[in-house]
Amino acid sequence: MARAAVVGAGMTTFGVHDTPLQELFAAAALEALDDAGVETTDVEALYFGNAMGGQAENDTHLGPTAASHVGLAGIPVQRYEDACATSANAFKNAVQAVDAGIHDVVLVGGVERCTPETGKDTAAMTRIFASAAHRQYEQPAGLTFPGVFALLTKRHMHEYGTTEEQLAHVAVKNHGNGALNPRAHFGRETSVEAVLDGPVVADPFRLMDCCPFSDGASAVVVVADDLADSHDAPVDVAGVGHATGVVPIADKATPHVTKPARDAAAAAYEQAGAGADAMDFAEVHDCFTGAEVLASEALGLVEDGQGGVAAADGRTARDGDVPINPSGGLKAKGHPIGATGTAQIVELAEHLRGEAGERQIADAERAVAHNLGGDAATTVVSVMEARP
Amino acid sequence: MTEGLTHDEWTAALRDGRLLGATCRDCGATVGAPTAACPHCGARSLELVDLPTRGAVYTETTIEVPPAGVEERGYQVAVVDLGDARVTGRLDDEAVAIGDDVVLAGFLEDDQGNPAPRFEAV
Ligand SMILES: [Zn+2]
Repeated sequence: MARAAVVGAGMTTFGVHDTPLQELFAAAALEALDDAGVETTDVEALYFGNAMGGQAENDTHLGPTAASHVGLAGIPVQRYEDACATSANAFKNAVQAVDAGIHDVVLVGGVERCTPETGKDTAAMTRIFASAAHRQYEQPAGLTFPGVFALLTKRHMHEYGTTEEQLAHVAVKNHGNGALNPRAHFGRETSVEAVLDGPVVADPFRLMDCCPFSDGASAVVVVADDLADSHDAPVDVAGVGHATGVVPIADKATPHVTKPARDAAAAAYEQAGAGADAMDFAEVHDCFTGAEVLASEALGLVEDGQGGVAAADGRTARDGDVPINPSGGLKAKGHPIGATGTAQIVELAEHLRGEAGERQIADAERAVAHNLGGDAATTVVSVMEARP
Repeated sequence: MTEGLTHDEWTAALRDGRLLGATCRDCGATVGAPTAACPHCGARSLELVDLPTRGAVYTETTIEVPPAGVEERGYQVAVVDLGDARVTGRLDDEAVAIGDDVVLAGFLEDDQGNPAPRFEAV
């Protein structure tokens, strides 16, 4: 028996949207409800993610606003903030509630705007993003989020010999996948030479190693296992693991191993009764190219130290033995913070239904999503399966 | 009475040229950032310790795109391994690599008066 099932999925294009947050959310949420064949009156609770509306747009207490806008006022709404893992945490709580019998039908989703449409330029948004670093022991040193993952990645490079060229291969692969994804922020391919020729943001990361500032929304309808077959195309949620790690970075025992990802993956795999070898593909949190390398190892998809090599050798391409980020990932698909977690669930659902179009992973039956927040101190790992 | 290391204590020490840490009496771990309990084992019995002010760079990056409120660019942020604990700090006008020795050389302050350690190459 699955813990729950996803029976509807929706998302906006990721990119630039001159649209209020509740309207952006509604575009994804109503698409998910329609896909599920669920009426608003059937929805028992909303699990809503938004990380930075307060800082970016002076817009808080968004749960009831979003619920009202899609006709859900009255039901319980909870809003999550876990930096970039915001809507994966909403998803975890939704699955738990359904699995525990508290609700039968719930809507889960997230929305965020990070582009200059918010009125915030790169420096201002860089400061807002940096608020996820420790306020007293990291921010005063001038640490940024590219800087956070640069610190983790440079240690990985030191330990294993990972190279900037290998990192560039991650960007090239994800841009290639994004070019096949009509909802991706970046729809064009790039080359290793172009990536390595870009301006440095925080070494070893150049501009093309970094995900963009994006606007967008995503949503899924989650129902109890025994209701799943009454919907057209249910996808099972086999396991969801969630773990936290020590903050700040300096106090982590071994920062580049991203222990919370390993702990969350172990829990998700155990619930699913299936390990990394059984995953037909993965959507991982590649906010920076180095983050994908760390995630591929933490999820057990490749051996420790081999993440960069695997990317350069094509093992993580769509036709490789461990396909990673067929959507284009955060790198090319885009990264509207609070929408990213459930957008990964949308991507898994589409492949497991066989509806992912040109980027479809052939015969995909089981997949894993990895969504992290902050310096990876929050990580949620979800395993989904095609319903037998 | 709360044991542990507070931001006020850590800040006062840093302004005085010292790095305060906390050693867990249960698991023996030492941390370089103030905390009310050991982040590794959860124990609340902590002993305040003076950390060495000289260590080796554990990891580093040079930030070329700073956040609003930071005027300079091209500055280095490093996690410095002081032996028992690590501390995050800033290096200016240096190009240190992982493994290089550095020493505490004062502090800088952000726009709200929070200090961060400043290190320099030895
Ligand atoms: Zn301890």
